Amino acid sequence: MAKGSELKGRIKSVENTRKITRTLEMIATSKMKRAQDRVIAARPYARALSDVISSLYSKELEGDFPLLRQPKTVKKAAIVLLTSNRGMAGGFNANLIKEARTLIKTLESEGTVVELHVSGKKGIGYFRYIGRAMVNQRTDIGDKPSAADAASLVDALMTQFAKSEIDALYVVGAAYKSALASPPHSQRVLPVTPPDKSAGGQKDFLLFPDAGAILSELLPAYVRNAMYKALVETVAAEHVARRTAMKAATDNGGEILNLLRRTYNRARQANITQEIAEIVGGAAALE
Amino acid sequence: MLHISVISPEAMLFEGDSQSVVATAFDGEVGILTGHAPMVTLLGTGTVRVGDGPSFNVSGGFLQVVDNQVRVVTERASKI
Repeated sequence: MAKGSELKGRIKSVENTRKITRTLEMIATSKMKRAQDRVIAARPYARALSDVISSLYSKELEGDFPLLRQPKTVKKAAIVLLTSNRGMAGGFNANLIKEARTLIKTLESEGTVVELHVSGKKGIGYFRYIGRAMVNQRTDIGDKPSAADAASLVDALMTQFAKSEIDALYVVGAAYKSALASPPHSQRVLPVTPPDKSAGGQKDFLLFPDAGAILSELLPAYVRNAMYKALVETVAAEHVARRTAMKAATDNGGEILNLLRRTYNRARQANITQEIAEIVGGAAALE
Repeated sequence: MLHISVISPEAMLFEGDSQSVVATAFDGEVGILTGHAPMVTLLGTGTVRVGDGPSFNVSGGFLQVVDNQVRVVTERASKI
């Protein structure tokens, strides 16, 4: 019967783990829905901004704006890596870190100095472990990133870019395409790539005060919005990944539980059968 | 009739139809009625009032008019 009680203990333990994973799955599901809503709510702003920028932008303006500066050689680049503060999300953080490492490798092989800005405990933990210096470490951006969070990440970098202290800015996060596809994604945010001309309506607008002043106001907003978009999409992708991982864990727990229960019952039955055989044997011996 | 939307990075704050919009542009108030020419103007710090709808406190951003569609796009907006 020693085997029986040992199995009982294991069944109990798997049941408890399964309770935790199932709860985490449900939490992730509800957070995922809210994060998805936030991704969708951010779209009209992005669209309006790129419509106007694309209709005002022309190639000749490039020299007038520090954010449109196209450096011939990229001496120094900054990478902002977005990861989550919590684990239990399958390969989510590992994939983001891998994407960032690939980007760092490519840039460094071209002779670029890369400075690293990391948001999220998981990314920070990894780069601290491999002993790579990080310029900026942020753990304060949680489940509900705001436009202000995005600004606090990117404003200093925009100033540096305008002053030619860095020549490029990349953001590594997850691109949220749908609940099923949210691959890691690196994106060059600076220098600004103006949105496609064909996207915006080619209208002759009355401009107040003038195209230059409007653009100098909107280009930083465009960069901040790119950052904000990356933040909300990464959060949505995190919850999607966590939900998937926890669902798989719950399912696996169920399978293990079935197996353990079967083994336990078999042991119990064998025990009973043996006892009966002993009794019958004992009774037969008395006759 | 104008179709008006007030948009911040986080959400669409207002979307609806009205007769007019009065906004605080960078150099003073600007009023928009149906049939306004296509326009883009920077906004200052002040209010955006939708004809018979809500008002918003706005700082920075821009206002765009095309084909009786008015878009107020700003990073800082709050409903009054």
